[in-house]
Amino acid sequence: MEFAELIKTPRVDNVVLHRPFYPAVEGTLCLTGHHLILSSRQDNTEELWLLHSNIDAIDKRFVGPLGTIIIKCKDFRIIQLDIPGMEECLNIASSIEALSTLDSITLMYPFFYRPMFEVVEDGWHSFLPEQEFELYSSATSEWRLSYVNKEFAVCPSYPPIVIVPKSIDDEALRKVAAFRHGGRFPVLSYYHKKNGMVIMRSGQPLTGTNGRRCKEDEKLINATLRAGKRGYIIDTRSLNVAQQARAKGGGFEQEAHYPQWRRLHKSIERYHILQESLIKLVEACNDQTHNMDRWLGRLEASNWLTHIKEILTTACLAAQCIDREGASILIHGTEGTDSTLQVTSLAQIILEPRSRTIRGFEALIEREWLQAGHPFQQRCAQSAYYNSKQKWESPVFLLFLDCVWQILRQFPCSFEFNENFLIMLFEHAYASQFGTFLGNNESERCKLKLQQKTMSLWSWVNRPGELSKFTNPLFEANNLVIWPSVAPQSLQLWEGIFLRWNRSSKYLDEAYEEMVNIIEYNKELQAKVNVLRRQLAELETEDGMQESP
Amino acid sequence: MEFSELIRTGRAQAKLLRGPEVPPLHGTLCVTGHHLLLSPGPQATSDLWLLLLRSVDSIEKRVSGDSGTITLRCKDLRVLQLDIEGVEATLDIARSIEALSSLESVITSFPFFYRPKGLRLGDAWHFHPPERYYKRVDRETNAWRLSEVNEDFSLCPSYPRAVIVPRAVDDDALERCARFRQGGRFPVLSYHHAPSGTVLLRSSQPLTGPQKRRCAEDEELLRAVLAGARPGARGFILDTRSAQAAKQARMTGGGTEARAAYPGWKRLHRPLERGWPLQESFVRLVEACGYLEQSMDCWRSRLEACHWLGHVKEALSTACLAAQAMEREGACVLVHGAEGTDSTLLVTSLAQLILDPSSRTMAGFQELVEREWIQAGHPFQLRCAHSAFSHARPKHEAPTFLLFLDCVWQLGRQFPLLLEFGEGLLLALFEHAYASPFGTFLCSSEKERCLCEVRTRTHSLWSGLNQPKEQRKLRNPLYVPSPLAIWPSVEPQSLRLWQGLFLRWTRPNLQR
Repeated sequence: MEFAELIKTPRVDNVVLHRPFYPAVEGTLCLTGHHLILSSRQDNTEELWLLHSNIDAIDKRFVGPLGTIIIKCKDFRIIQLDIPGMEECLNIASSIEALSTLDSITLMYPFFYRPMFEVVEDGWHSFLPEQEFELYSSATSEWRLSYVNKEFAVCPSYPPIVIVPKSIDDEALRKVAAFRHGGRFPVLSYYHKKNGMVIMRSGQPLTGTNGRRCKEDEKLINATLRAGKRGYIIDTRSLNVAQQARAKGGGFEQEAHYPQWRRLHKSIERYHILQESLIKLVEACNDQTHNMDRWLGRLEASNWLTHIKEILTTACLAAQCIDREGASILIHGTEGTDSTLQVTSLAQIILEPRSRTIRGFEALIEREWLQAGHPFQQRCAQSAYYNSKQKWESPVFLLFLDCVWQILRQFPCSFEFNENFLIMLFEHAYASQFGTFLGNNESERCKLKLQQKTMSLWSWVNRPGELSKFTNPLFEANNLVIWPSVAPQSLQLWEGIFLRWNRSSKYLDEAYEEMVNIIEYNKELQAKVNVLRRQLAELETEDGMQESP
Repeated sequence: MEFSELIRTGRAQAKLLRGPEVPPLHGTLCVTGHHLLLSPGPQATSDLWLLLLRSVDSIEKRVSGDSGTITLRCKDLRVLQLDIEGVEATLDIARSIEALSSLESVITSFPFFYRPKGLRLGDAWHFHPPERYYKRVDRETNAWRLSEVNEDFSLCPSYPRAVIVPRAVDDDALERCARFRQGGRFPVLSYHHAPSGTVLLRSSQPLTGPQKRRCAEDEELLRAVLAGARPGARGFILDTRSAQAAKQARMTGGGTEARAAYPGWKRLHRPLERGWPLQESFVRLVEACGYLEQSMDCWRSRLEACHWLGHVKEALSTACLAAQAMEREGACVLVHGAEGTDSTLLVTSLAQLILDPSSRTMAGFQELVEREWIQAGHPFQLRCAHSAFSHARPKHEAPTFLLFLDCVWQLGRQFPLLLEFGEGLLLALFEHAYASPFGTFLCSSEKERCLCEVRTRTHSLWSGLNQPKEQRKLRNPLYVPSPLAIWPSVEPQSLRLWQGLFLRWTRPNLQR
């Protein structure tokens, strides 16, 4: 298919663009296969380049011959185009609609994007499972890399390489996979070097109504416990939901069959409930009625902060089991691709200082989200302005980023990255020129040949010029476990995401710049002090030598 | 009366708990005339712990076996627990604290005994804001004069000795105006906005009564204000009550300016909450903040139900309206409610922060608080007698000043570069307004302060705060002066709970 077929009117003159914080601009609107461009053809005026894939929904209105298109973006921005001529307006609107909802992934922009920067380090090779495993293998010999899923036959949503207990062979893994939802047998997610405890994740066991068992599964899970140690299975569903799952072939681990393990149920919402929460929240943020009670009421009714609290509470519980109780844990919900990953990745933020660095956080996203098979393509297909009939969309990853932001806010010096880094990841998960967040799992990414045909987000981010934008000037490496407060009073609305387009951040940005300057200046002065101290010490020793010939 | 009569027991062994993050302190507990002391003993590494009894808002005692527990809820919203050996000692100490913390006499209060090292009495009392401020106004315009008509506080007991009034109006006329305004609070200058040549005035309600009485001198005064401003200036009378409440006030002798009597002036009503409802909102907010184990829904609905953020929004919007009228419409603004000592001052002082860059400096803000709150007759002694924990029957308490500080904090959050002072100064002012070793916030008016000789017998908070070691904690390191007006966003989405104050003692110690 040619894009040209979808573009009914490639350009219109005298279009007026309205967008937050900028004066209206009049110019020429052009549609290309992947972009909506508005150019005023004047110097000094910023042009608009908008990826079609960033468009969540459009509305059109007509007043006489003047048409107006309101474009609602996946990053929650709303822009308005005034287009003279009804026919042009209708053409543009239907073209945008078609281009922003392309079915085929291979027609997406990442397959056409040619970077203008020099690739220093190819991001596709920055975080290989083998390298990640090496970090552990120096500390423990109880685990091994398994290539059982090399052809994606055992578990379509797992990567080719996974970390499993050394004592379990690939044959046993195949049997366990048959017993777990989507073939997601328990694999290592995190190894806590301090006490050797681990976090594992999986899909739900397929016990069904007649309480099916799997000896290999029991053996695998027990193999991860040291003698006399106990473990916890954290189920991210309520007991009720987990019991109901049996009717559909799912279920949970019977404690009788896993005697060293205790099961804990925590209820984290999923799917369309989260999506509806997001829709309500963004609606509330765009509410212009200037009424405090109404705003607080709608904010409460969206339940967004409740979800944040549930997720963080569960992650804290997992971290507590590991660090304070000295117990290993296995986490799963139903599929093990959503709330499970929220919990395993946040627990690592709490426990592992490395995951609070830029590099470590990228590795965490690569390992615990991309390789672990979070279905980004489905979950991030639409954002808050699109009321989809399908139930695939869900802001699971955005909730994770929001939770990280909450911890970052509580521990502003413990993270190497800043809020902008999280915002950038949100944007790219929903619409990007890079291939990183395309596809639902490694298997799909392999088939699409993303590594050969698209550029990795990490290739772009990890260049010094870009990194400086994402670096937290307050960062001081903190090797401790950090315990965030989950009291409702401690959790706040993430203004940087949700109120980003409602008000200018000019003054906050200036203050941030000023803070960076003060910190830089302080560092310079420190360096000067050190040089002078050294000179003084040298002079004193010289004096000493002269005095005692 | 001697304090010793109220102190029933000298000392007892006790353990002090100050929240989950701080280790408990063991030692000997002592009650003195103004303080509760805990001395950790000669070998201890920690210092003496000291609490001003005046800062205790409510006290709760419990005994079990041969020991007791006293819970002290302080006016700065801190909650302390004392575990005391001996039932008798516990009860005695509790009774002593109760008696001493609720003493109402001003001249036996701690500021009259406080003699800190490094400060001299009378040091910072030199700044007499009306006179000082008049010098500035006089440089900008000659339409105003400093009147000492209230020299002996006979005209208006809640005004300072000197006030700034239109040059065209003489002292006799002022006397007649005073009789026409509640509490004698005739219209006086609050702020002259040089860039647009307009002024901000404040007063109390006119005493029109049901007969719609008029006062020629009052009308003349407001006419003179417009004549002295830039040519063609209009005026707005900003009534901080609803139109209905203003109308009802006529039944009790008050009222509002009749349109026909004040040509050129237009009346606007912007109801602001005051008195008991405001205090109740404060009490409920603090209660909500105190629940540590609650669901998100409970917390959000409690936060909503207390309406505190709604009051913040209303106060800021009204101040913005006043500022806008002056800066953008070139109009003069007179603000009053009923007494003119509460919401009126909230609006006039916030409008100045918005318009006047000098009030955003460390010295300028202190001067603003002194001039627009303390000297303008905000009854601190009454309003801040109790804070959010008190079980005492409320009389005149209202957190109007705290609401002002909260609004200033919102400004600081929206414009992090533009205030020379930081959150530290606002927290300090909140604490000192409710309980302080300094005399600045004592009494309810200049007249009372004169009678009690506060200026000569106590230290000024300003000299305390302006010591170099204090200043470090109070300054905003990011400050960059800007000559422009700052227009805060008053959309509900832009306003936040002031965590630094309301969650100061309950939230876990956040990294800074």
